[in-house]
Amino acid sequence: MRRRAMLCGVATLAAIALAALAAAQESRSVWDGVFTTTQSDRGKALYARQCASCHGDTLGGGESAPPLVGDGFLANWNGLTVGDLFDRIRVSMPQDDPGRLTRQQDADIVAYMLAFNQFPSGQADLDTHSEVLKQIQIRPK
Amino acid sequence: MKLAILPFVCALAAWAQAAKDTEWPTYGADLANSHYRPLSQIDASNFNKLEVVWKFKTDNLGNRPEFKLEGTPLMVNGVLYATAGSRRAAVALDAATGELLWVHGEKEGVRGAAAPRQLSGRGLAYWTDGKEERILYITPGYRLIALNAKTGALVPTFGTDGAVDLKLEDDQTIQPDLTTGEIGIQSAPVVAKDTVIVGASFREGMTPRSMRNNKGYVRGFDARTGKRLWIFHTIPMKGELGYDTWENGSAEYTGNTGVWTQISVDEQLGLVYLPVESPTGDYYGGHRPGADLFGESLVCVDLKTGKRRWHYQLVHHPLWDMDISSAPLLADIQVNGRAIKAVAQPTKQGFLYVFDRVTGQPVWPIQERKVERGSVPGEWYSPTQPFPTRPAAYARNGISPEDLIDFTPALHDQALTLVSRYKIGPVFTPPVESQSDGPLATLTLGTASGGTNWPGGSYDPETHTVYAFACNSCVTPIGLVHPPKEMSDMMFVAGTAGQEVRMRTGPGENSGADSPLPTGSGGGGGRGGRGRGAAAAGGAAAGGRGGGGGFGGLTVQGLPLIRPPYGTISAINLDRGEIVWQVAHGDTPDAIRNNPALKGRDIPRTGQATYNVGTLITRTLVIAGDGQVTTTPQHPRGAMLRAYDKATGKEVGAVWMPAPQSGTPMTYMLNGRQYIVVAISGGAYSGEYLAFALPPEER
Repeated sequence: MRRRAMLCGVATLAAIALAALAAAQESRSVWDGVFTTTQSDRGKALYARQCASCHGDTLGGGESAPPLVGDGFLANWNGLTVGDLFDRIRVSMPQDDPGRLTRQQDADIVAYMLAFNQFPSGQADLDTHSEVLKQIQIRPK
Repeated sequence: MKLAILPFVCALAAWAQAAKDTEWPTYGADLANSHYRPLSQIDASNFNKLEVVWKFKTDNLGNRPEFKLEGTPLMVNGVLYATAGSRRAAVALDAATGELLWVHGEKEGVRGAAAPRQLSGRGLAYWTDGKEERILYITPGYRLIALNAKTGALVPTFGTDGAVDLKLEDDQTIQPDLTTGEIGIQSAPVVAKDTVIVGASFREGMTPRSMRNNKGYVRGFDARTGKRLWIFHTIPMKGELGYDTWENGSAEYTGNTGVWTQISVDEQLGLVYLPVESPTGDYYGGHRPGADLFGESLVCVDLKTGKRRWHYQLVHHPLWDMDISSAPLLADIQVNGRAIKAVAQPTKQGFLYVFDRVTGQPVWPIQERKVERGSVPGEWYSPTQPFPTRPAAYARNGISPEDLIDFTPALHDQALTLVSRYKIGPVFTPPVESQSDGPLATLTLGTASGGTNWPGGSYDPETHTVYAFACNSCVTPIGLVHPPKEMSDMMFVAGTAGQEVRMRTGPGENSGADSPLPTGSGGGGGRGGRGRGAAAAGGAAAGGRGGGGGFGGLTVQGLPLIRPPYGTISAINLDRGEIVWQVAHGDTPDAIRNNPALKGRDIPRTGQATYNVGTLITRTLVIAGDGQVTTTPQHPRGAMLRAYDKATGKEVGAVWMPAPQSGTPMTYMLNGRQYIVVAISGGAYSGEYLAFALPPEER
């Protein structure tokens, strides 16, 4: 009985901890330092080779490509998640051969986009799984 | 028994009255490209009650979804026809329910993969002789396809097995070969009096691979047989008028100068109106000295022969990618008591040029004024440019310090600092050679993405008013750099000093269902395989601009460099040549409304910086969707389809859409119900046609 009560208590604590974790994850946003500068530096080099011919050196976009900086970027992505952005890149970019880049490369490019938009860096790289990235909200401050 | 029949007969009569169908038989509603239908079931009193009655997702019309759906469908005899998907399939839908009736796709292999303008295109054309009905559209690989409108089957008597190879019979040999030769089109063909009129488009012109390119001639084809009837040389051949405006024989090798946007026709007058784009090299014309006719000219040709009747060059020796980017609007107007059959041309540069469409004479004087001469080595400069005296410009077309962000003095100062590294000035301020220590470029408004772009304006024949959306803040920096020899033989292409010179890709390039280009491909000349139905395999997607932003990424603390309004709809009365009203179109972007630097400030609606908004006119309304997504206290994350009172510009209604408007809306009446259909896409949202109508109790 005692053992059962203890188990019950542990389970309750675990449930509370999980709920807290979930709540913390739900509230994560691009303002919480979700990438590292090392990662965004890797992304910068990749961006120059893979993305800049359409989106421009300053991420301002072009006739066929949306801007990836400033209000133009936020207009498309505010209210969605980093996972949504990551998936859009996975499914459609680079446009001449979608899916050519690895998940790691795509994550690095997203990190560069976030850095260029002056979102803060942090201690850990962006994950490479959409499900995890979907817990990070994109929003203006 | 007889008594019982009477009400039934009355009801039938009422139904017949209400059920008078109104069609939308061509891209712009009619050949005048008015985008107008005199329907009134949907009005200010009930617009907010519109509901989505069907939607058509386009993901599987190609091997990848598309995020850049720009089409405007047609509606004829209860059937809606449209192009859609990364394959540019033609589809027929039940106009009441959206049910797919047939689909036709063309697999073009290497030819499709090499096409300069891929993806779904803007639409198609309908032809009938009263018995037979056909749908005509142009594939990314530049083939004109004729389909049986009832079944979607190829018309075997048209061209070769239902297709005309547009790379042939073009008074030029397409280089380097038929398969990979650069020429195509994304707009809808036009059918007038059994003639199909076809223009041409090319890669993005900021970084040409060469000063030499294929030419964008315009042709007429027999709608019955596909036989070529006529051709108009947009770059004159030796001996033709205008040849000597290309100095040093540059007409021989310069290309582009196509008509990539919609064409208008006056069937009664038998005249065709061609809005011609820029010659090779959007920003550098040193290899084509002279005025360069018919570059950036409005040209009127004979519908039967293609022979030139008149022309007016809007920009001499084009250097700003102004093109003529949208359909000429044919308008019968009254100026000072005189009836004039006019043509009004909206432009990227925010001028509305108005001509007598019979004679080509300006309705109000257009003055040649001196403009600044630039200093780019090797460039040729026109000493003057034409300036319309009426109506006034309806969008910004130059940049002065007064145009910069001024929400706060600090933001304005930062903008001035940013701009100090660039050259700025009024319309026609010339491009510069980019220098690391400045100027990096000429900052321009009213050029590549400014003013009114491909969706064009609308014309209301009841009130003689043009309605046009314009981007009022789409900044394009125009800097020139020497390209590496292996990249281009041009002396200058677009670029920024100190940065790698990159070949810039254009809308849809390398992104359609036939891409990527297989390694080591090229040569050959064969026609791509074909099949009924567009293949639907997983993966991949196409690029798309989606909502938002101008070029350049020139922002101040993430805010637009230019002050609001960012995008407007203008009503311009053509009897008087006056702007009647102008409103900011679209919600204030989230990044501005929620910006901490602007907290507590009352910022009126700014409108949105986008260039893909087209307008629809009904009996009482101007209808257009937002070009960007927002999240506001009034609505969840999405874009609004808005209605304005066409007399005053007052917003009278708005309904929610999950993504921005990406194609111009159209409307029709079918079985007593008015529908509005609009293409939406962008950001994370792939292409979809949405159909709105009123619920039964509101009709």
